[in-house]
Amino acid sequence: MPVCPSSSLDLNQIPRNQWLAIYRTMCRARFTEQRMIRLYHQAKIFGGVYTGFGHEAIGAGTAHAGGDNDLFTPCIRDLTVHLARGLSVLDVFRQFLARATGPTRGRDGNVHYGRLDQGVYAMISHLGAMISVAVGGVMARRRQGLDAVAMAYVGDGATSTGDFHEAVNYASVFDVPLLVVIENNQFAYSTPNSQQYRCKHLIDRAPGYGIEGVQVDGNDAVAVHLKVREIVGEMRQTPRPVLLECDTLRIRGHGEHDDAGYIPEALKAEYAARDPLDNMRRSLTDAEIATARELDTIDSECQQEIDEGYQQALAEPMPDPATLLEGVYAE
Amino acid sequence: MTQTLAETGVVERTYVDCIRQALQQLLRDDDRVVVFGEDVGAFGGAFKATLGLQEEFGRDRVFDTPIAESAIIGSAIGMATQGLRPIIEMQFLDFMNTALHQLINNAATIHFRTGNAVPITVRAPCGGGFGGGPFHSEELETIFCHMPGLKVVYPAFPCDARGLLVSAVEDPNPVVYLENKYLYRHVKECLADNFEPVPIGVARVCRRGSDATIITYGAMVHESLAAADVLAAEERQIMVVDLRTLKPYDHDTILAAVAATNRVLVVHEAWRCCGFGAEIAAGIAERGFHLLDAPIMRVAAPDVPIPFAPSLESVYRPSAGTIVEALRELIEY
Repeated sequence: MPVCPSSSLDLNQIPRNQWLAIYRTMCRARFTEQRMIRLYHQAKIFGGVYTGFGHEAIGAGTAHAGGDNDLFTPCIRDLTVHLARGLSVLDVFRQFLARATGPTRGRDGNVHYGRLDQGVYAMISHLGAMISVAVGGVMARRRQGLDAVAMAYVGDGATSTGDFHEAVNYASVFDVPLLVVIENNQFAYSTPNSQQYRCKHLIDRAPGYGIEGVQVDGNDAVAVHLKVREIVGEMRQTPRPVLLECDTLRIRGHGEHDDAGYIPEALKAEYAARDPLDNMRRSLTDAEIATARELDTIDSECQQEIDEGYQQALAEPMPDPATLLEGVYAE
Repeated sequence: MTQTLAETGVVERTYVDCIRQALQQLLRDDDRVVVFGEDVGAFGGAFKATLGLQEEFGRDRVFDTPIAESAIIGSAIGMATQGLRPIIEMQFLDFMNTALHQLINNAATIHFRTGNAVPITVRAPCGGGFGGGPFHSEELETIFCHMPGLKVVYPAFPCDARGLLVSAVEDPNPVVYLENKYLYRHVKECLADNFEPVPIGVARVCRRGSDATIITYGAMVHESLAAADVLAAEERQIMVVDLRTLKPYDHDTILAAVAATNRVLVVHEAWRCCGFGAEIAAGIAERGFHLLDAPIMRVAAPDVPIPFAPSLESVYRPSAGTIVEALRELIEY
């Protein structure tokens, strides 16, 4: 279903640094998660590890199209969004290692974090619930005179929730500039799309909300980024919600406890051949945006950041048990 | 020079008048305040608590939403975390159940998890006594009081209705503001235009007595006062404490009131099992066991869905009559 093969897209229409930033975000996310997986299997992580393997093009391609005032509600597989908005790899390790210094000060685990000063909300586990938060946040920013937009991330599974419906309809009624990024990775935990919905494509629902729906190849960061720049540019001028359906496949299990044996091998092989990082490297070298050697340098810089981040987080303390009751209420 | 009544703006005000007055003042005084919910705009709300506010402050500040309770609370979380002070009207408290995750999993946990304040006020018309049946009469305070991160207030009088609403909106936390539908137009007070906020967390002794103490809130304050009148004719003096705030509740006022009579009756309109009275009774038992001359008693609704027929609802809902019976038993123990 690739709709926008990047081979036909002109990368030179935006600055080279932007592409390199997207590539770097994808690498930071991928390599951080590779390290997380290793730590999980070494029992050095508390709780689960949920990764975005195969989803890096979506988060990086969309979040790098945002401006300073924009708001984001990333979901489970969107480490790229946090990193694109300025979160450090160090903070990610602090979060997963339950450090007092981390974004939730050890109060919440794994993917439930976000820094509002970077325009990023911490998700709750109830899928679809964050869409309306993004809606209200951007309504407030608009009221304050900012030309903000919001990007809310959901999987195919969350589109079955009442919250998805409520929030998208609500955003449509109020002409809220909201990009609903549907990461259609074909499985909600173990449930395949055939048991999740019966429309052909999820964006087939867009006309029912009176809004536009757009499909894009979710393994192609160039395609995602160029399409989202265009949509967001229009949205700032003429506020309205848009559904963006990104086709991809979840390459690993729901979490590292899950071997994803229910995903057919042939399907895995098909998407492995279109890995978003490999795709991006090919796009950037083919278009002569960067040489393989320059990209290798970015890779090794990311690896070094991850080594340092992990070691530093490891050396930091977990929250003091005496602070258990603190922070329930704002003063 | 003394002011005339007209000059001070002293007029008879109902409970719902006072809610509207507080909303109007909040909208006037604070540009961050927005009021929204189902039918709250030009229509003025199902109970007319927002009547005229859209006309005065515009659709930007006072607006109708789709029927989407979860998105209403979710969007309020978004607004509150971006500097607004949203006041939501849940048309009936009963409908909040479809949005509980937004309130208790999302809004209530955000400060603990991330350090970001979520100053939202959820107004929730609640309670029965008017033939509303099972889905328009509920009293669910116990759910909200159970959840760390929420505050819960429940005025019984017009002056507290406006004073607590201002405090709820000024509070940096999510506050569930329970307003009793039966009281909307049944309770009136002569009040001036000007008013002070009523602090969250402070109960009020609304009647002094020496023979027994009633701890109550909401519409049951008025039933309790009526019961106290009945016993006063029998030379029994009943103390009545109106909690006003259920979370955090006022332990000290409760204990002092128990100490004054050594006999305590907890009264609420909500169901008995795990009702808020169970928390009050447990708190008294833990901290004031030595003060008691009799077992703590409760008057609450029986554990059945709220019935519709007047012949059933009148025996379902606690009343001055059932409170009088319980008081007699308590005093004679």
